[in-house]
Amino acid sequence: MMIEALIAVALIGALVTFVAPNRVAGKLAFAISLVPAAISLWLFATFDGSGNALLEGTLAFESQYEWIQLGEYSISWFVGLDGISLPLVVLTTVLTSLAIMSSWTPIDERESQFYGLVLFIEANLIGVFVALDFFLWFIFWEAVLIPMYLLIGVWGGPRRKYAAIKFFVYTNVASLLMFGAFIALVFGLGDAVTSFALPEVADAMVNGEGIQQTLFGLEPTTLASLVFVAMFIGFAVKVPVVPFHTWLPDAHVEAPTPASVLLAGVLLKMGTYALLRFNFTMFPEQVETYAIPIAAIAVISVIYGAMLALAQTDLKRIVAYSSVSSMGYVILGLIAYTQFGVGGATFQMVSHGLISGLMFMAVGVIYNATHTRLVTDMSGMADRMPVAVGILIAGAFGYMGLPLMSGFAAEYFIFFGAFGADFDYAPIFTGLAMFGIVLVAGYLLFALQRAVFGPYSLETDYEVSRAPLHDLAPMFVLLGLIIALGVAPDLIFDMITDAVDPILEGGDS
Amino acid sequence: MEGAFSYAPAIAAFPLVAFVVALVFGKWMPKKGAIAGIAATGASLVFSLWMLAAVASGETYHETLYEWTAGEAASEIGADTIGFSFGILIDPLAALMLVIVSLVAFLVHVFSLGYMNAEGETGLPRYYAGLGLFTFSMLSFVYADNLLMAFMFFELVGLCSFLLIGFWFRTRSAPSAAKKAFLVTRFGDYFFLLGVVAIAATFGTLQFAGDESFVAAAEAAIDDGGQLFGFDAETWVTITGLLVLGGVIGKSAQFPLHTWLPDAMEGPTTVSALIHAATMVAAGVYLVARMFGYYALSPTTLAIIAFIGGFTALFAATMGVVKDDVKQVLAYSTISQYGYMMLGLGVGGYVAGVFHLMNHAFFKALLFLGAGAVIVLMHHEQNMWKMGGLKDKAPVTYYTFLAGALALAGIIPFSGFWSKDEILYDALIVGLEEPLIMAAYAMGLLAVFFTGFYTFRMVFLTFHGEPRSEAAEDPHPVGWSIKLPLIVLGILAVVAGIANLAPVAKLANVDITFLEHWLDGEYGGIDEVTYSAYSELLAYETGVISSEQVTVLIAAGLSLLLAFSGAGLAWKLYSDPEPTAHKERLGSAGTVVEDNYYQDEYQVWLAEGVTLPLARVADRFDQTVIDGTVNGVSTASLFGSSWVKRIQTGIVTNYAALLIAGFIALLLGLGVYGGWF
Repeated sequence: MMIEALIAVALIGALVTFVAPNRVAGKLAFAISLVPAAISLWLFATFDGSGNALLEGTLAFESQYEWIQLGEYSISWFVGLDGISLPLVVLTTVLTSLAIMSSWTPIDERESQFYGLVLFIEANLIGVFVALDFFLWFIFWEAVLIPMYLLIGVWGGPRRKYAAIKFFVYTNVASLLMFGAFIALVFGLGDAVTSFALPEVADAMVNGEGIQQTLFGLEPTTLASLVFVAMFIGFAVKVPVVPFHTWLPDAHVEAPTPASVLLAGVLLKMGTYALLRFNFTMFPEQVETYAIPIAAIAVISVIYGAMLALAQTDLKRIVAYSSVSSMGYVILGLIAYTQFGVGGATFQMVSHGLISGLMFMAVGVIYNATHTRLVTDMSGMADRMPVAVGILIAGAFGYMGLPLMSGFAAEYFIFFGAFGADFDYAPIFTGLAMFGIVLVAGYLLFALQRAVFGPYSLETDYEVSRAPLHDLAPMFVLLGLIIALGVAPDLIFDMITDAVDPILEGGDS
Repeated sequence: MEGAFSYAPAIAAFPLVAFVVALVFGKWMPKKGAIAGIAATGASLVFSLWMLAAVASGETYHETLYEWTAGEAASEIGADTIGFSFGILIDPLAALMLVIVSLVAFLVHVFSLGYMNAEGETGLPRYYAGLGLFTFSMLSFVYADNLLMAFMFFELVGLCSFLLIGFWFRTRSAPSAAKKAFLVTRFGDYFFLLGVVAIAATFGTLQFAGDESFVAAAEAAIDDGGQLFGFDAETWVTITGLLVLGGVIGKSAQFPLHTWLPDAMEGPTTVSALIHAATMVAAGVYLVARMFGYYALSPTTLAIIAFIGGFTALFAATMGVVKDDVKQVLAYSTISQYGYMMLGLGVGGYVAGVFHLMNHAFFKALLFLGAGAVIVLMHHEQNMWKMGGLKDKAPVTYYTFLAGALALAGIIPFSGFWSKDEILYDALIVGLEEPLIMAAYAMGLLAVFFTGFYTFRMVFLTFHGEPRSEAAEDPHPVGWSIKLPLIVLGILAVVAGIANLAPVAKLANVDITFLEHWLDGEYGGIDEVTYSAYSELLAYETGVISSEQVTVLIAAGLSLLLAFSGAGLAWKLYSDPEPTAHKERLGSAGTVVEDNYYQDEYQVWLAEGVTLPLARVADRFDQTVIDGTVNGVSTASLFGSSWVKRIQTGIVTNYAALLIAGFIALLLGLGVYGGWF
């Protein structure tokens, strides 16, 4: 019942915060958010699962209740954790608490609604990572969109309406595609499945006969390929993968800092997590077939995303585009289909969540003081905000993959996993994608050189003062976690690989 | 002595503690973190000497201390699983380097008291924290027992150089130089990391030494004659070796990635001393020495190393000739000297290369600290044309600097002569059989002339003649914290050559090549990583001119002759009381050299003239074509926008509350329907 408690606390907390007075909402929401954070850490400490949740693994904190019968198919409340989902749940709860604290300074209107929505997002994000029934999962998946839409559309920047609509419509259309594909998959499996439980579907795909039915006149193999591609595209929008990425920079630039933190930190991982759970777990054959195009997409995302970041002068846009680049590494790791590749991709989801969260917070803290994010508007910020800038620099080096920080571990695992992958030209693809580590240093160092170094000057009318402690504290926590995972990746990598192995074994058989 | 090694981790841990202490508490400490740094590096030095003694008594240490992670190797050959770990390897090479690094770091810390604290710099906690982290990273790199750990600390060394070169971040130039240093070396490290990944994916191990090492695996693979990643084994070893070499070329500032180094003079002079003598730049060459067995397997790679080294030695030396800033001259001399080390290693002269690495560490630290002393004397003037006459006013600085200069120029019997001569001798005997190496040798030899010239041009302009500015007439006094490190290093610059008097040994047939025996593990060593083990792997043929003794004499004679001619020419041109510039005599060649052969220009062009416009084109493409398509699709289907519009006009409070209430109602409803309650 711990998972239910996790979600319930966040949901009830959201309601309570909604009706609380504005002036206490921030503190209240933070206090409430500590409960799911504590629970998830407790889950982490007492985790006793093994194997993959979809492939006959031993689930931790599992609970399943029959819910509704839909024709031949039953839908159930089915939740549980394995080594892939648990780190992401912890990431979600911890990042939510920190994001709430980092909102205290910038959010000064409709606080109770703002914090209520943040907690509401948290509940649904947890749901996405714990749900093991497709319908349940899809409810959470879709429910994340609405509060995020509101966070951007209400508390965002000047072009918030455009950005929010774009975010909402784009990802929703993608969801529709994915939803249709999954239903086609279930029908295609015919009698092999009697529910929407993901383990059952995965089992039918991997260990069973796979798709046997002809649907809409499509041969089973064609159908399988179509489903794979449709789902891939559906999730690729969420990740986002080039060329489906253009909603991301707009959403990020307009979103308030805490929303950006959650958006980059956790929402993007919904896409990669779903890719791993659906495409890369259920379709080992198609993974092999489409390895080269997907690897090419990964390389393009890395390099093209980095090139776009290089052309920006808005700090937030730089970090936003760099997310496209970083997510490209995740795709590369997934398609490598080796233990280090897929494990590294999962590790990168967590690592990028922490590092991008840190970067958005640091940029936000500077924005709070300067009211500009353009690197051309400021110079020498290190002079006035030494601690905040110090953290920004640390975060930037984390992003660049500095060893002993989590980003390096993630990238190294992915590179190593991808170099030895089975598909043709894997070393070439890896080598090309790795050039991202030069480009990322380029755009971040250029930005740092202009904005935080040099003689102090600022093109806005604001008086710059040092950031308050409650702005800095969340960043210190994140930095601590980044270094901890960089020094001791096995804190989570062990459980990740334990859950990844069955996927790869499924691929062999 | 077994117990000694259990304290080995402390060598790196001390400066790490100093880093934290200086960063967190430095502000409130009496010397702003200097004391912590001095204590830490002093302790590291003592412990390093202890390790040296332990190795001398016949012990070595190779231990995995901490497993970073492990998993399936999926390697071409070798084990099914691979562990990525942190471990310590203390063999003669590492023990020697530990002492060099900790000694130089210690002296730089002491010197900083006079150079930074006494000069009233601000931001000192940051400075000492940087030095501490730098020392920690380098020491960890030095005794890393595997390639991944080496890479990790290699990168951290790069970070530290960024932080310290950019120490004066309120200027425009220092942050720019720091960025350049990191970016250019990062470019090299890209290849290095690719090499690490490739080696790991090929052999399933990254250990430097032992039966499980990638060197042993590569040797076995070459013997087997199988295919690796579609290449025959030796080609693949060459490819991966060259990839790793990318990192070396970046960090050790070899052509064409040397451009960051002269800019890096923007950092405090003490930092330059540390970077050039014992840490960042040394790291590259040390890495070649560390995995020399791997390079020895591939004659192609070795020849490339030798050729790059010889070329860089000459190329950089010619640029040093026309510089007016004392630190710039030293910067180019560093590039040039590391070129020699690469030449030495590339021709299989492992002992010679390491010998020069050691001697250079001492005399280059000396010269940079000496230049730092001169800068203090000169009230922060660095232009040599404004100096002059410091000889009598600052004798300690002068004589120690002179010792360093004689070592740099390679004048007998100063330390630099012995190691440089040994490199050139090794290059010559291989060159007699291999034309390409002969060309590398010729370049290295010619560079001796330029080295002699620019070194003594610097000495004459700085210290001799009449004072040419007010500052030179009335120099700022320097204290003991400055003089003491100079004296220690001055002595070493004079006597360090005793470690390996190879020519004397060959001519007089006496056994005094101590460093060679040391590196050969005759006191204590690990079998596969010794000089003789490497020599067996080498495929080079060597020749002699009539006899070994004659060859020794010819090699030494030639290089001495050229060194003296260079120095003599400098004396002739610049020893006047009022020296004049002779640059115009060089004509257009002078302009080319002064502009550093336009190396900076083309690299800046690559970054700002190619990459950046390309990025802007990508950005425009992204906004017009890709995003345009997205927006086009959405406006075409008006449905989307009109539907969303309605949501927006609602009052958000109500809407959000309704949303949540509705969602919970849905859950409850479905729950009741599903029969949960």
